[in-house]
Amino acid sequence: MPHEIAIYGVLVPGLLPVFLVCLLLMVLLDMLVGRLGLYRQVWHPSLFRLALFVCLFGIAGLLLIH
Amino acid sequence: MSTVPATEPVPASSRWPWLGDFVAGEWRAWIFVGKSLLAIYLAAWLAMWLQLEQPSTTMITVSIVMHPHSGMVLAKSFYRAIGTLAGSLFGLALMSLFPQQRELFLLSLSVWVALCAGGATLYRNFMSYGFVLAGYTAAIVTLPAINNPLGVFDSAVMRVSEVLLGILVAAVVSDLVWPERLRLLLRQSAQAQFNLFIDFVRDSTAGNMPRERMEHANLALARAAVRLEDMRASVIFEDPEVHARSTRMRLLNQRYMAAATSFQSLHHLINRLQRSGSPTVADALISLYRPLAAALSPGLAQQHQSAVLAARLGEYVARLPAQVVALRAPLPAPLAQLEFDTGATLLQRFAAELRDFATLEGSLREAQVRGSVEKVHFLRGNDIPGALVGVLRTFLTMVALSAFWLASGWPFGASAMLLATIFSGLLAASPNPVSAATHTFYGYASGMLAAFVVVYGLLPGSNDFASLMGASAGFMLIGPYLSTRDTLPGVGAGYTLGFVYILALKNPMVYDPTHFLNDGIAQVAGLALAGAAFILLPSVIGSGWQRTRQFRRLREQAVLAATAPLEGLAWRFESLVRDLFQQVVTYTRPGSDESRSLLAWALAVQESGRTMIELRQQLASGGDIAPAARRAATTAMHAIARLYREPDAARWREADAAVHAAIIAAAGQPVRLHLYQLRSALRDDESPFARYIPSSSPESVHAA
Repeated sequence: MPHEIAIYGVLVPGLLPVFLVCLLLMVLLDMLVGRLGLYRQVWHPSLFRLALFVCLFGIAGLLLIH
Repeated sequence: MSTVPATEPVPASSRWPWLGDFVAGEWRAWIFVGKSLLAIYLAAWLAMWLQLEQPSTTMITVSIVMHPHSGMVLAKSFYRAIGTLAGSLFGLALMSLFPQQRELFLLSLSVWVALCAGGATLYRNFMSYGFVLAGYTAAIVTLPAINNPLGVFDSAVMRVSEVLLGILVAAVVSDLVWPERLRLLLRQSAQAQFNLFIDFVRDSTAGNMPRERMEHANLALARAAVRLEDMRASVIFEDPEVHARSTRMRLLNQRYMAAATSFQSLHHLINRLQRSGSPTVADALISLYRPLAAALSPGLAQQHQSAVLAARLGEYVARLPAQVVALRAPLPAPLAQLEFDTGATLLQRFAAELRDFATLEGSLREAQVRGSVEKVHFLRGNDIPGALVGVLRTFLTMVALSAFWLASGWPFGASAMLLATIFSGLLAASPNPVSAATHTFYGYASGMLAAFVVVYGLLPGSNDFASLMGASAGFMLIGPYLSTRDTLPGVGAGYTLGFVYILALKNPMVYDPTHFLNDGIAQVAGLALAGAAFILLPSVIGSGWQRTRQFRRLREQAVLAATAPLEGLAWRFESLVRDLFQQVVTYTRPGSDESRSLLAWALAVQESGRTMIELRQQLASGGDIAPAARRAATTAMHAIARLYREPDAARWREADAAVHAAIIAAAGQPVRLHLYQLRSALRDDESPFARYIPSSSPESVHAA
């Protein structure tokens, strides 16, 4: 995957689309987990969500770059 | 230990009750101060680490966005991000359209900023923030680059990155560090709303309630509905569980409002029957109604458990038809039976709505969300002419500043315009902008003084980030602390903004007293002009002009109920009436004539409007209604709509006659019940129509 991609001649980091896709994925995951009420099982839901997002983004970024 | 010593020391909290409150309040305030400082410095450090041009933009963003409740920060941040993107796109477009024509450029920018300020007035929740920021970002992106059009793109990218970084840091810090959950507050108020309504219904099944008490109850119910909607709209950003339940909460609020309207209509009907000499019918209705209290009283422990209540209400609803038949039989004349049928239908509707309300409330308390529900919206009664005044005011402010800037060649005109942009938007939504502007002004000026001390007294010795923090934190924390004091609205926010703005942290730091003073003067001038514009062209929020118009609009909701397309009309009507009512009543002095008339009209509009909607739904669905009856009913509704639009004695007589004719035309058909209810609402001698009713009005409907 390229480190930078050009959108209409503007160079943006290649991770930006990955970030956006992960954000979308996170929203979907949030909806699912929210409906099932699973966040009640964790101690600090916001910390858990942030960590989950970092994991998602980290995995996606590493997989795509290598 | 089995016995308690008689001389047990009294806990400090009960000996000095104020001390406990004081400590709890201070604890909350200092947590907020700590979070704000953490977010501001973290944002500054990240901005410097990422080598962004102006860390101060990031810090300003954080200081605008931080709020004691975390849901509010996320909600603000969401709209802020949207506003930032829209504003920067517009700024870029403007710059590419008018790179050389300054006059056109400033004129278009003024129009954009003015429209954004108008949008901020129009929406009273956090969407208003998005508008403020769309205007502000367009200005902050373009103004510093105005002398260098080629650099506008880089400048825009930098500003957008800085602002977004600030949003991100503020959101993460406030969500992770000692989060104060708005969700708990939402759950409590939803619960309180449910309990209040259930208790209220249980205590009023004796059937007799003075109009005044009903008016006040209606006010409390409307407030609760609007408040709940406001909270729901911001909590969905905080909490995925609330987000998953959002549709359901909207529907719950809707059912609540529908049940409240039916409840109130039922009471009015019973009261009228008691007053107008049909006590037998009223008694029959009350004996039909009284078991509802029993259904709502499953014992003290389960009194507010919605699942239990829903089951008991279900049984009550199932028993109702048999009881209706039993109670109807001994009633003599056709008129009495008509009166009874009207009341019984209303009661059945109310009981079914209450049951649905309790069922839905119960399903919200479960851990899992099952299935999906009907989508409804809470429609807000936004005031467009009021927003247009805001647009005009901001436009004039911006044009005056631009003209002065262009004519004088003021090097710091951009700063003044930027501050005017921010505060025209922020203040436009405030109910008392002149005093808010004054408070903010004092806060802003003292923030700049403090920053002066920091920049030229404390900062020069520092050589790393830790010493920068040490030098500025002592003065910085005053701002967030002041903003937790409710008695000083605007001072804290102004202080923080002024402090952070003029501090203008850069990497490496630049010390230039001339620039500092000139920039300070320009900023204060911009802020003062934005405030002065509110004196010249006063805010219309809560003014007599706006109240009169909103009040008229409230009455015109009855017209809407009579004529608008039926699709989704019921929930649009219920929410719009509540929202308008709540807006007008906020600015009306309690106990004044205006307030009394408003309360009375709100009840009348709710009752008649809802009845007309039910009637129209029946007309639309039932195929076996005689065409003559259909026509007569429609004519009657139009006559009532005219009466609500411009109430006077002649229109009242017309409406009364039209309804009377429709009742005759619809003899023996179910629509007659709704028509009868409309007529009884018209003839209510405690409603606002009382003064139009001729004293010798015939009491009975002979043709029934």
